[in-house]
Amino acid sequence: MSDIPDREQRKSAQAALVGNARTVRDYDVPVVVDLTKCITGCRICLDSCPVDCLAVNPETQKAHMRYDECWYCLACEIDCPKDAITVKIPFLIR
Amino acid sequence: MVEQVTDADIIIVGGGSAGCTAAIEAQRLLPRGRVVVVEKAHVKRSGAIAIGMDGLNNAIVPGHATPEQYVKEITMANDGIVNQRAVMAYAVNSFAMIEQLDAWGVKFQKTETGDFDVKKVHHKGRYVLPMPEGHDLKKILTRVMKRAGVQVINRIAASRVLLDRNDRGRVAGVVGLDVRTGEVCVVRGKAVILCCGASGRLGLPASGYLYGTYENPSNAGDGYSMAYHAGAELTGIECFQVNPLIKDYNGPACAYVTGPLGGHTVNALGHRFIESDYWSGQMMLEFHRELHSARGPVYLKLTHLAPETLAEIERVLHGTERPSRGRFHAGRGRSYASDEVEMHVSEIGLCSGHSASGVWVSERGETTVPGLYAAGDMASVPHNYLLGALTCGKICAENAREYVGAVDSPGPDGGDIEDERQRLLAPLGRPRGIPHHQYEYKVRRLVNDYLQPPKTANRMNIGLEHFLRAREELGEVGATNPHELMRVLECGFIRDCAEMAARASLYRTESRWGLYHHRLDYPEMSDDWFVHVNLKKDARGEMTVHKREVAEYVVAMSRAELAGYHGIRVKEPAAGAGAAP
Repeated sequence: MSDIPDREQRKSAQAALVGNARTVRDYDVPVVVDLTKCITGCRICLDSCPVDCLAVNPETQKAHMRYDECWYCLACEIDCPKDAITVKIPFLIR
Repeated sequence: MVEQVTDADIIIVGGGSAGCTAAIEAQRLLPRGRVVVVEKAHVKRSGAIAIGMDGLNNAIVPGHATPEQYVKEITMANDGIVNQRAVMAYAVNSFAMIEQLDAWGVKFQKTETGDFDVKKVHHKGRYVLPMPEGHDLKKILTRVMKRAGVQVINRIAASRVLLDRNDRGRVAGVVGLDVRTGEVCVVRGKAVILCCGASGRLGLPASGYLYGTYENPSNAGDGYSMAYHAGAELTGIECFQVNPLIKDYNGPACAYVTGPLGGHTVNALGHRFIESDYWSGQMMLEFHRELHSARGPVYLKLTHLAPETLAEIERVLHGTERPSRGRFHAGRGRSYASDEVEMHVSEIGLCSGHSASGVWVSERGETTVPGLYAAGDMASVPHNYLLGALTCGKICAENAREYVGAVDSPGPDGGDIEDERQRLLAPLGRPRGIPHHQYEYKVRRLVNDYLQPPKTANRMNIGLEHFLRAREELGEVGATNPHELMRVLECGFIRDCAEMAARASLYRTESRWGLYHHRLDYPEMSDDWFVHVNLKKDARGEMTVHKREVAEYVVAMSRAELAGYHGIRVKEPAAGAGAAP
């Protein structure tokens, strides 16, 4: 549709108004939880995280990294009573 | 409508190092009083030292240094622009805090005779007290605070200081957001002590990872922004925090721990080029020059140390402040024994703990707004570090106690609270709006592009234009849950700090503090600028910048003494290194 004369003017006005779209993709996130060790109902790591990026996964009832916002500080890993957490250095930094 | 209302005598915002000692002291002075700590994270692991600290960087231990010597050292490290009374108040009260910490069970390094084992890292004096077992520090502070009976409310992100409905010049409480439930909370009280840490998410780390910051990324400049909107003055914002860090990892290398054990900074030729590894703007300028010369990059050299010394360094560095650094080095197949540690210059931040930017405070911890106090990385006592936060938190509590005893109860304005509630929750009405991380990435990338020193007016003016546009764009950012609401709130704090950083840097038309305010268009330091640069929100709601006179010194200094940090570069070896291929 490149032959429409006012195309750029129209599209540029439209570009300022159109909404956003959803994408879905897995990411390499730093906090990895061993579901066989993690205690259901224990929220110690959720308390430890200074940036509140951990949460209980409603599907498994275990802790997981819900937001890719890790300071790789190891608080969750150190405080976990079951050694269920391993923190990877974020891929962009590794 | 507000979901949670709490009443307090003294409110402390932020339960990190300064917040803990402020709360402990306030509760001690008001045994039946209501001392409330509002904390964005959870106090057991919050603040800049969430995981611990490996030492006190500014300990004035009798027999090793005097308060007068310390005030002189900090004055010269800041090219004379200090409120010496505030530095002195810290200096004379800090040893009592060390003794207090010692009594609480914090383990300091001691000599065979039981004395504090003080090390030299600064350019002139001896002020570093190692804390090799410092991983327990925050746990100890939290325990003491809880035993004192302080009421702690975790996971509340304070968003604004509330002012009295009749007297708009005094505080009446704080309002914030429960980051788990999305409820809006109000704490009413006579005095507020802001202990919110640095503006650590200002520049974008070179790695591109938003949370790969030097400071705990929870510290997004919340306190700078809240104090500003409450009408308080801020100072030295143009004296940026720029740190020499492990490249990519972005944690301290850490010369304060390794220096006393024989580690030091070298260029690619293996030559030392700075006389002192103490973090000052003057040192950072030499570091920056070396990094960007043919002799760069810059490394921390430990390869020459004995295996048992390296084992001790690893034990401390991999167990306290940033314990994941061992994992970082191992992941790249590097070790202290065989490889030098590549270093770089960090992105910018605002932090009085390391440089001098902060909310203006007197020697009593008072801001320019009655009832509002500030301590720690966000208050303007320069190079204050951890011990400064702990000491000044206590000083604030003492003076806040006096203040609350002398004034009647204020009343926050219902309209203010309703306006803030709507502002906080508005992003929920835009679930498909701009994601907070895209907004944050863009603002912080623009901070790098236009504010990272060396600075020029041309670039900073373009940056300022972007930050003003970002104020409008903030209204397009959306959220789908309470966690994202917190991040959008932080986006506003970050943007406010970016505008402050641009305006204060544009105003000071000279260069000062080495790299921290190195202007290519005004390369020299000028006596005309022997003043503080303060900024505040004026009656029309605009950001205004003005000069504030440097108060008469309490420790007199000669011109030569003031220039004491201008000879940081090593003379002979650097000249030789320059001639090498």
